[in-house]
Amino acid sequence: MNSIVVKNLTKKFGDFTAVNNISFEVKKGEVFGFLGANGAGKTTAMKILCGLLKPTFGEAYIAGYNAFTEGKKIRENIGYMSQRFSLYEDMKVWENIELFGTIYKVKKSILKERIKRVIQRLNMQSYADELVGSLPLGQKQKLAFATALIHEPKIVFLDEPTSGVDPIVRREFWELIYETAAKDVTVFTTTHYMDEAEYCNRICIMAEGSVQLIGNPEELKRRMRVNNMDELFCKFVKR
Amino acid sequence: MKGFRAILIKEFQHIFRDRKTLAMVFVIPVVMIILFGYAISNEIKNTKIAILNHAHDPLSYTLIEKVTSTNYFQNIKFLHGNHEIEEIFREGKVRLVLVIPDRFEQSFYKEKNATVQLVADASDLNNTVTLVNYMQTIVSDFQAEQNVLLPNMQPFQINVKMEYNPEMKSVYMFVPGNIAMVMVIVTALMASITLSREKESGSMRMLTITPIRPIFVILGKILPYMIISFFSAIVILLMAVFIFQMPINGGIALLLLICLIFMLTAASFGILVSTFAPSQQVAMIATMMGLFMPTMLLSGFIFPIENMPWILRVFSNIVPSTWFIIAIKDVMIKGAGFVGILKPFLILILLNIVLITITLQRISKK
Repeated sequence: MNSIVVKNLTKKFGDFTAVNNISFEVKKGEVFGFLGANGAGKTTAMKILCGLLKPTFGEAYIAGYNAFTEGKKIRENIGYMSQRFSLYEDMKVWENIELFGTIYKVKKSILKERIKRVIQRLNMQSYADELVGSLPLGQKQKLAFATALIHEPKIVFLDEPTSGVDPIVRREFWELIYETAAKDVTVFTTTHYMDEAEYCNRICIMAEGSVQLIGNPEELKRRMRVNNMDELFCKFVKR
Repeated sequence: MKGFRAILIKEFQHIFRDRKTLAMVFVIPVVMIILFGYAISNEIKNTKIAILNHAHDPLSYTLIEKVTSTNYFQNIKFLHGNHEIEEIFREGKVRLVLVIPDRFEQSFYKEKNATVQLVADASDLNNTVTLVNYMQTIVSDFQAEQNVLLPNMQPFQINVKMEYNPEMKSVYMFVPGNIAMVMVIVTALMASITLSREKESGSMRMLTITPIRPIFVILGKILPYMIISFFSAIVILLMAVFIFQMPINGGIALLLLICLIFMLTAASFGILVSTFAPSQQVAMIATMMGLFMPTMLLSGFIFPIENMPWILRVFSNIVPSTWFIIAIKDVMIKGAGFVGILKPFLILILLNIVLITITLQRISKK
């Protein structure tokens, strides 16, 4: 079953084509890496998939909902986390989770249970009453990820989730991602770290608004006869 | 609605956890009214005047009695010759001398062209003008009474009564302006800052991806400031009544309604600024320049609009605070009803509609 289906999707801003006729599918429970240099159209594509932007033409179904007409439905069924902003710094750990839980209409009794579970899973029992601003960056990012999942979405979008965190936390973060995917939640992530791209089940490389390459990282490396992801990436982005 | 409430609660948490915000929101209104109320009204109140009576006839004493019977001038000094005027000014204790000329009664009744002279120390023009205005009112009031009483020649009562702000208390003038300033600071400024903060930190993006509609995100964020500024307006009114003995002659409901409308204007302005401003600093400066300064300088709050050059008068007409202050003054001091303030009220509503329309357009574009 596919949780994201994109066919000939195009987005134009006036004369400028930000996303040019892209097509791909993402399976349920898959970890899908979305790569590309800055300005490749990644952000615009991601906005469309999150139900924030209407495409100019083409088709896009996210969790079964049409990106043209069912933006709100899409937003109810996805989670989103970005590196740029994770959580409110002047609110406590549990308050942050509660805020987003409430915004996503999780029932109070269920939410209470989930907050407890999240804090336990992240070993943050001693931090629960602390302000988020006082946490180390890595902890914040993990907490933000857990918060993005508080309403048990079908798909979670991660926008450069691990920028600026140390390798150990990144590893822990990817453990969380796999754990999530194992529960049949689709993980759609962008990243600038090529080693991270290798952790994905499949990747998609974008350049100049178009999809250049899609497939399993190992397979792609073999097919393109390159030694590592860096080479692969540069080959397509620097044309 | 649940999400809206969650954002509302979150915003209150931000306010109460951030000392700077807390100070801005709660301390400023109180400090402002005390400052404007006491500092300015006291200075005028403590100014002494002097009287130089050349006439020494009954009518001149009647006039003096009228002047001294007001509570406004205390410690009136009596002079005995023209040379004393300059002396007393040089001492700096007296700013105004009322000079009653020789044969005052005679020229009043017979020649019908009595004059009194007001000699004023103009070095502190603002205060002196206030003094002169007041003295002029007393004298012309006195004259009017004499004219009425002339046919019967009855002894008259001394009854000083000036319509609207009889004591020229400056606090009366400052209360409406103060409310406007507080609304601008707490609603417009804080709204623009809090919204652009979310934009700056990227949390606005996060919130727009959630299923709540953007308009509810904005309202949820703004409402706490509106509640607080409304509360502040009430505190200022209470202080005006109980500390500065200012009357509220008109309806309180009408007064609060005007406050509510102006609050919408301020909130809408704040939101509009935040849709343009890329950062908190820009939002702050834009609100300061766009609404705070005009409220202070162009609304008639501190400087009278009549004295402005025509180009500034035109500007002052599109500053919502101008109409807000007029409406509040009329209701509080003149006791105007809804019909009495129809013009400023409608203009305020019109400015509101224009502002809100532009704001909504900007939001839906985002």
